[in-house]
Amino acid sequence: MLICAVVLELSSIKTPQHVKRTRDLVQAKVSGGCSHKLRGQYNEIMMFMAGERNPASCYLDERTFRLCCQLFLQHSETIQDGWSWEQIKGTDEGFMKKTVLMPVKPSFLHKQHECSMQDENMVTDDVQANVEDETAGVQAVCEIHAVLRYEYHVLYSCSYQIPVLYFRASTLDGRPLSLEEVWSNVHPNYRQRLQKGPWDTLTQQEHPLLGQPFFMLHPCRTEEFMKPALDLAQAENKRMNYIVTWLSVVGPVVRLDVPLSYSTEVSAPD
Amino acid sequence: MSDNAESPTETQKDDPSIQHAATEHTGASDEKKKIDVLLKAVGDAPIMKTKKWSVERGRTVQSLAQFISRFLKLEASEQLFIYVNQSFAPSPDQEVGVLFECFGSDGKLVLHYCKSQAWG
Repeated sequence: MLICAVVLELSSIKTPQHVKRTRDLVQAKVSGGCSHKLRGQYNEIMMFMAGERNPASCYLDERTFRLCCQLFLQHSETIQDGWSWEQIKGTDEGFMKKTVLMPVKPSFLHKQHECSMQDENMVTDDVQANVEDETAGVQAVCEIHAVLRYEYHVLYSCSYQIPVLYFRASTLDGRPLSLEEVWSNVHPNYRQRLQKGPWDTLTQQEHPLLGQPFFMLHPCRTEEFMKPALDLAQAENKRMNYIVTWLSVVGPVVRLDVPLSYSTEVSAPD
Repeated sequence: MSDNAESPTETQKDDPSIQHAATEHTGASDEKKKIDVLLKAVGDAPIMKTKKWSVERGRTVQSLAQFISRFLKLEASEQLFIYVNQSFAPSPDQEVGVLFECFGSDGKLVLHYCKSQAWG
């Protein structure tokens, strides 16, 4: 219904002022309900109307997404940051993927009393290095930290024309984390904002390519934190890698670290 | 910056490690515990009246972001984002001293900040 109204408005558009007015009207309607599908369609219509892309556009076409990922992955390879590209067989679609083992306090998990000795075999050197009390025995390691497995996917969203971060989280014995557990593991820097509106930030979604349940960081306000960075880069005549900038912002929210070297070592695509 | 520098009245009383930068340098030192940070607003973020701050090297990005948020009196629903090198958001756990080593120039670290509703 809303799209029909937009089409009727568009048919009478002649001047940039009309475009702006229509955009404002649609924006007001869409942002009221934050309907993601409509928002995506709104974006597509507006992009179509805008004709040539605004140089500091917050949107990313799929080709540029892939190029940015390629450059990102090259640096990941150099510093052994663990990212890889997963191609969907028979298509030209794919995504970036990384798995991380993350120590957390046992009290974080609901079933802390079930932390058993068999977990010690799965604790990697990296995880043990993170344990402060290095002289403690394995029993102590088990008591101080439990280990979570986070798997992050960077996908391209055709409807939003931007990347989206999906992830799934589980304990080492394969138990998926609940939504509440995932929320409570959000970095404290973002927790207050998250508490104000948890349902519109981090939700469970079906992975668009794998069809499995994942968590997702909502993308529809991506432009609010991307636009300033894009404008800044443009003002300085610097080209930036969209994926590096975007992931550096969204990653830490869900405990994904993006080392500083990405900022200087990854170039922008041509 | 010297340890006995006066804090201006607008400095948060519970944040002695972030102080308004004195106009005089007390002398170059490799062991300076504080670094100079220049905060620049982008987008529709409010501009801070005091832009130059002396911050302890060990201070984290998160702690600095909290300081700026309180200073600007942001709402709880607003998220502050900080960028280094124009287009990279450092991890909230990153120490500003490390950022200064990587990206500081002319004796200061320039950080851009913006605010948004961010999610949803």
